[in-house]
Amino acid sequence: MSYALTEEQLLIGQSARDFAKECLDPIAAELDHSAVYPAEMVKKLAKYDLLSLFLAGEYGGAEAGFVAFVEALEALARSSAAVANIVLNHSIAAWAIEHWGSPEQKQKYLGDLATGEKLGALAFYENGPLPGVGSDALVAKKQEEGWVLNGVKAYVRNAGVAGVYVVLATTDPESQGKALTAFLVDAAATGLKVGEAKETMGLRGCPVAELSFENVILAESAVLGSLDAGTKLAAETLAVYSLGEAALTVGIGQAALEHAAAYSKTRVQFGRPISALHAIQTMLAETATDTHVARIALRDAAQLFEEGKPFAVEAAMVKQFLARFGSKMLLDTCQVEGGFGYSEFMPLPRLFRDIAGTTLLEAPAEFPDKTIAAALLA
Amino acid sequence: MAGVFVFSEDLALARQLLTPALELKASLGEPLVALTTSEAGAKELAALGADRAIWLKTEAAPEQLALALADLLGKEQASVVLVGGTLRGKHVASQVAARLDAAMATDAKTLKIADGKLEITRVLYAGLAVAEEVLVLPAVATVPARTFLPPSAVAQAGAVETVELAGDARVTITAVTATGNEGVDISAASMLVSIGRGFRKQDDVKLAADLAGAIKAELACTRGIAEDEHWLPIERYIGISGQTVKPELYLAVGLSGQVQHMVGCRESKLIVAVNNDERAPIFEAADYGIVGDLYQVLPLLTAALKN
Amino acid sequence: MPNLLVCYKWTLDEQDIKINPADLSLDSSRAKGKISDFDRMALEEAAQIVEKQGGAVDALSYGTPAVKQSLKDVLSRGPNKVYYIADASAEIADGAVTAKVLAAAARKLGGYDLILVGEGSSDAFNQQTGPRLAALLGLPCVSFVAKMTLEGNTLTATRKLADCTEQVTVTTPAVVQVLSEINKPRIPSMKQVLGASKKPSGEIKLADLGLSPQELAPKAVRKSVKGFVMSRKNVIYKESNAEANVQKLVASLAAEGLR
Repeated sequence: MSYALTEEQLLIGQSARDFAKECLDPIAAELDHSAVYPAEMVKKLAKYDLLSLFLAGEYGGAEAGFVAFVEALEALARSSAAVANIVLNHSIAAWAIEHWGSPEQKQKYLGDLATGEKLGALAFYENGPLPGVGSDALVAKKQEEGWVLNGVKAYVRNAGVAGVYVVLATTDPESQGKALTAFLVDAAATGLKVGEAKETMGLRGCPVAELSFENVILAESAVLGSLDAGTKLAAETLAVYSLGEAALTVGIGQAALEHAAAYSKTRVQFGRPISALHAIQTMLAETATDTHVARIALRDAAQLFEEGKPFAVEAAMVKQFLARFGSKMLLDTCQVEGGFGYSEFMPLPRLFRDIAGTTLLEAPAEFPDKTIAAALLA
Repeated sequence: MAGVFVFSEDLALARQLLTPALELKASLGEPLVALTTSEAGAKELAALGADRAIWLKTEAAPEQLALALADLLGKEQASVVLVGGTLRGKHVASQVAARLDAAMATDAKTLKIADGKLEITRVLYAGLAVAEEVLVLPAVATVPARTFLPPSAVAQAGAVETVELAGDARVTITAVTATGNEGVDISAASMLVSIGRGFRKQDDVKLAADLAGAIKAELACTRGIAEDEHWLPIERYIGISGQTVKPELYLAVGLSGQVQHMVGCRESKLIVAVNNDERAPIFEAADYGIVGDLYQVLPLLTAALKN
Repeated sequence: MPNLLVCYKWTLDEQDIKINPADLSLDSSRAKGKISDFDRMALEEAAQIVEKQGGAVDALSYGTPAVKQSLKDVLSRGPNKVYYIADASAEIADGAVTAKVLAAAARKLGGYDLILVGEGSSDAFNQQTGPRLAALLGLPCVSFVAKMTLEGNTLTATRKLADCTEQVTVTTPAVVQVLSEINKPRIPSMKQVLGASKKPSGEIKLADLGLSPQELAPKAVRKSVKGFVMSRKNVIYKESNAEANVQKLVASLAAEGLR
């Protein structure tokens, strides 16, 4: 396999980067500060086809492929990981519908998701240890016609701004989270309430909230994929999601690296720039290596996925690598900048908090090493 | 006949061109001929060392003269043609060069004759590098304003001639409006306060204007401030496609100092920077600087310099 | 409907060029290519004209074989077709050679109402190509254009000069050199990027342009290129106390004889 990007993929990355520099750089700090959802920016993203990058052309997608999507996400994340996170959650929700949806579901949702008329969101997590397990687990109860949903989904990104949610619910509360089914729930559904937006540490501006369901009635046609196939659907979706999330991490790392390298050249101590110090060079070199290696591994996994080949092990490797080195990139770059970079009005604290959001949240819960070991030892 | 020719529609610039032209004349041993569009100008250039000064008698704008001028220079078998590096001048020079099938350099900073060729230096890559270029003769070069001081008057003024030139009427000028820059020539100001994206809104430009007022400086800016924000007229924008200045003091406030900007001001005698980003490249290009919030620093600086 | 040609240059991105501090030589081994910054405005202006009133835009470039890297990039910015002359001679081509090659190609392609060029290339910024091209093609040239409208075969333009603006009109065909302020070039959308692959490109062989070796010999030759090094005092006051910083700066300015 060649790791060289095609000309289109390079140009997509370049265009997304130009977009990010022009549109995201000016708002990134303020977005982090205010955490107000950037509605106008999302419209702009749609205009540049950044909300439909790898959707099929028949639904209005740009059909650029997943590798290009990952390149674009990194380009956006270098300027604002929060905005990239909005794009990521939307895009993966759209992918899940494209991948598992019935022709009617695709017809109903994908056009609006491609134009940004509607945003997508994933509602997989719950307050309990696993979906379908806790006391407020989302339970789908079969009716004569359709379903009725009660319970709570937690940590939903794009909550409140999405038009459609890909929701995981258990059809059997006794199954200990085994009988899971995915449903498509319109934001306008009666009985669906979006909780108060959570004040998050990083990725601020990408809204996170709980969704509570009170007798939300769904038609039979709201089931995404097959009945009780939700566990597999969620696992596959999250594997794809993890690639996008890795692109965010690499983008944040790259931004921190560039900032710290530039700083080290101008910061003079003991009569010479600190970039002349070996310890500083080591930290910068390690960060550069980590971002580079992660980026190459990410492209590899993305390419496998784009080609329809098994990619879960490679995706897990990327995830494991970044769980280990993602936050180290920021520790090192912050150390390079010392007290200067520690100031809240500088970019590094934001990047630090953002990278915590892309590397620390799900990595321990998902145990990527299990996936890798299972493949290795099978 | 051969000769070193100078042309500028701007008399001040034409005077400055005589200085390098006199050097080239000495090297080549060829007469120095000055071309200009006013009779008084021609007389003045003749008094400043031109062996011949030709008054190009015409109603046409300089650009409309380009091809006729080229024919005149061809007939005269000019060896070197120095053109004042105004925008009009660059247009004229390029078309003269094309018509004479001659080498051309834009914005030459130094000029000399070596091995029978014209050697010049000019900047490349928006000021990142300086190139030496060798031009076979006949050669055309434009020279930016204020690169050279005008020479002093000579005892024996040269001859003044008149040539009537018809302009090229294919491009019709329907109106000319003097630019609303209050008659200020930024490139002639001895002190400049230059602003960039660090200013958050148009009203805040007043902070810089106050400082400029306190030290009797003019306001200048980056391309973004002029072209994107339109907070200051385009004539006040410093940089590769804007103005080039070399004041005594260039006080850069809230601008990062990208090469495209710095090429327009790097010949300033003293560069002072105020920026809240310590790693902004402007500090590498500055003699003195303050790392700090311009909204805090400028009022203090204005007050301190007022006294 | 107007038939437009935009000439552009594929240059090195100067931000990727490093200066070797030992001998001030330039290292461009890792420099990426880009469409010359100022040519993007010419491309954008042509795209806007055609979007408003129909017609077609061709792009044309003369460069080293690396110019092929520019084709999809340039096509994503509006043109319907791109022509290119990829020849090693471009490495040392001067303004005279470049204009002759472009003029010969434009003549060969033929039939353009307007030929648009940028203000200057972002590497050499010689600002010669437009006016030279016009002289060689025998066309009128409108330089330094800040605003333009094309109606039928009449181009009305605002030229922006140092001390004045000029309104001019010219009957097409003509060459127009646009200022960077004329517009803000678009960032191509993802679909425009992908759509570029479906647009045609055509190679023009230098040998087919009928130019003699003499005509292709540059008259301006680069003898040396050295990185520019700014040497400044770099005295930076950065205490947290702004007042103290200001006092020190004022003292420094006084010491420099400025106050």
